Amino acid sequence: MAVYEHTYKPYEGKLTPAWSRFLVLPRYVYQDLFKYKLFIALFVVCYVCPLIYAVLIYLRHNTSALAAFGVTSFDIARELPIGGGFFFAFTNIQTWLAFIMTVIIGPVLISRDLANNALPLYLCRPFTRFEYIAGKMSVLLILLSLITWVPGLLLFLFNSYLEGGGWIAENWYIATAIFTLSVSWLALLALLSMAFSAWIKWRTAASAALFAILIIPTPIGFAIQGLFGTTVGHLLNPAMAFGSLAKHLFRLDWMDAFLTEGESWFVFAAYAAVCLFMLSRKVRAYEVVS
Amino acid sequence: MIQSQISNLKSEIVFEDVSKFYGEILGVNRVNLTIAPGITSLVGPNGSGKTTLMNLMTGLIQPTRGRISILGIAPSDPQALFRKVGYCGQFDSFPKGMTGYEFVKSFLSVHGLSNKEAEGKTWRAIERVDLVEAAHRKVAAYSKGMRQRIRLAQAIAHDPAVMILDEPLNGLDPMARAETIRLFRQLAQEGQHLIVSSHILHEVDKMSDRVVLINNGYILAEGGVTGVREEKMEEHPMQIMIRCDRPQEFAARVFASDSVVEATLHPDKQGLFIKTRNADAFYQLLNRVVVENGMNIESVSPVDDDLNAVYHYLIGSNGGGQS
Repeated sequence: MAVYEHTYKPYEGKLTPAWSRFLVLPRYVYQDLFKYKLFIALFVVCYVCPLIYAVLIYLRHNTSALAAFGVTSFDIARELPIGGGFFFAFTNIQTWLAFIMTVIIGPVLISRDLANNALPLYLCRPFTRFEYIAGKMSVLLILLSLITWVPGLLLFLFNSYLEGGGWIAENWYIATAIFTLSVSWLALLALLSMAFSAWIKWRTAASAALFAILIIPTPIGFAIQGLFGTTVGHLLNPAMAFGSLAKHLFRLDWMDAFLTEGESWFVFAAYAAVCLFMLSRKVRAYEVVS
Repeated sequence: MIQSQISNLKSEIVFEDVSKFYGEILGVNRVNLTIAPGITSLVGPNGSGKTTLMNLMTGLIQPTRGRISILGIAPSDPQALFRKVGYCGQFDSFPKGMTGYEFVKSFLSVHGLSNKEAEGKTWRAIERVDLVEAAHRKVAAYSKGMRQRIRLAQAIAHDPAVMILDEPLNGLDPMARAETIRLFRQLAQEGQHLIVSSHILHEVDKMSDRVVLINNGYILAEGGVTGVREEKMEEHPMQIMIRCDRPQEFAARVFASDSVVEATLHPDKQGLFIKTRNADAFYQLLNRVVVENGMNIESVSPVDDDLNAVYHYLIGSNGGGQS
């Protein structure tokens, strides 16, 4: 007969808030990512455009600086209007850079855990499947935010400061557009890459699938439009939805859009729903015996 | 009475009529178990349902039918459950690129421990599994035994009341096994539950307070090895080997007793095997025969009152050749 001393005492110390624990996951992924010089170089490249835009905004409001460079005949105020188009171009460049970053980071986020049977490890904690997905998603969302809407809004504030007066109130929709379009796009990219990561173990194939989902629907959409005279085919195209949404949010009247704002949101929501379904099928702790 | 039941519920692991089916495939069926503190070993052949039972306890899968309570907590409540449960799966499960130290610490952070607390507990757990020197090496560079130990460290690091350990002795060298069993005994002594599955029957026998034998998803037996063996006495009389100077005479003397079912001479003629359904009565008889006849007994050793024999009688093999 075993005699137990019952000296066991559970941990009764203070705990961090439950909502914040998913942030443990990105912390370790970043630690790993930033060990690679190539990745750091790419991350730095992502700030070249914000830097150029900041210089342009500065020059736009400081003609004497232009004169210092000997440029006097150039009417920068006329040639470089700062409005929806200016910030859309910035957002467009940065979100495509975000896409490249996603192709690099995204495909291994979940596939490595699945390959290493690490899911039971995460799910044997006070940690749900939702928190696991949120943690993995935040890897991309935090990092990509730093190269998209965060510098975008900083540029907006910088321009507001230099413009002065009522510019910020008149152009508040631009800030909303930068934030809304970037965050929606990043969320979609994160979900797509995680869904592919969960279903496709081979990194190259997962990256190719990401490219394919943005490229292939374009010819399909136009083929359907050409044959049947309807834009319904573009509902398959997240890149088209991005462009159409940008037109509406940035108020770009000159831009062609094949989808309405509502249809664009529908495309985003439909893709997100499919990705969540794919994730819910794969992100499970148990083994299925067959 | 009711209070005592509630108190038991809070200190025991209870399975009430639990079944789990994977589609049409049976995982476990109609399991009724109550597990008290101490070391409980799940023993059975591959595919018998041991891991399913463990996954049910950890809430990684939900039962098709029945109810499970871990110290009064339902496994469907991970927030409460994993404060009290530590799990070490049987597979190599390591997020890429982590050192042993990071591996243990990161999961403590997921538990909600502050950085400082997590650091302290990480070192304590790593010390307990004797991996201090290798703590800052990448897990990928660990040997199989080291990986097993670091997984054990992450399972015990947050001081859980219940530890569910799937094949924790696999891949360990004899020294590390002995150390690990000593750690298990120490944790059990402190009043913790350890649910261990293992194929290494003689070590299970040595360390367990009780065993649960499972085959094809059904619980075949549970309890102390001796108790389970006694229950099979009628069907499988206990075999005792006696080394003595006059085995034939000894056989003739004891065979007259009701307690002896069979006596077989050892091929080397230096001993004999006795089968008995009443070991206590036989040992008394043995003393009497020896004293009355002045026999010289070299050794008396039960051949089949260990887990290996119980496994053999209940499951019908020697555990697939496991030692």
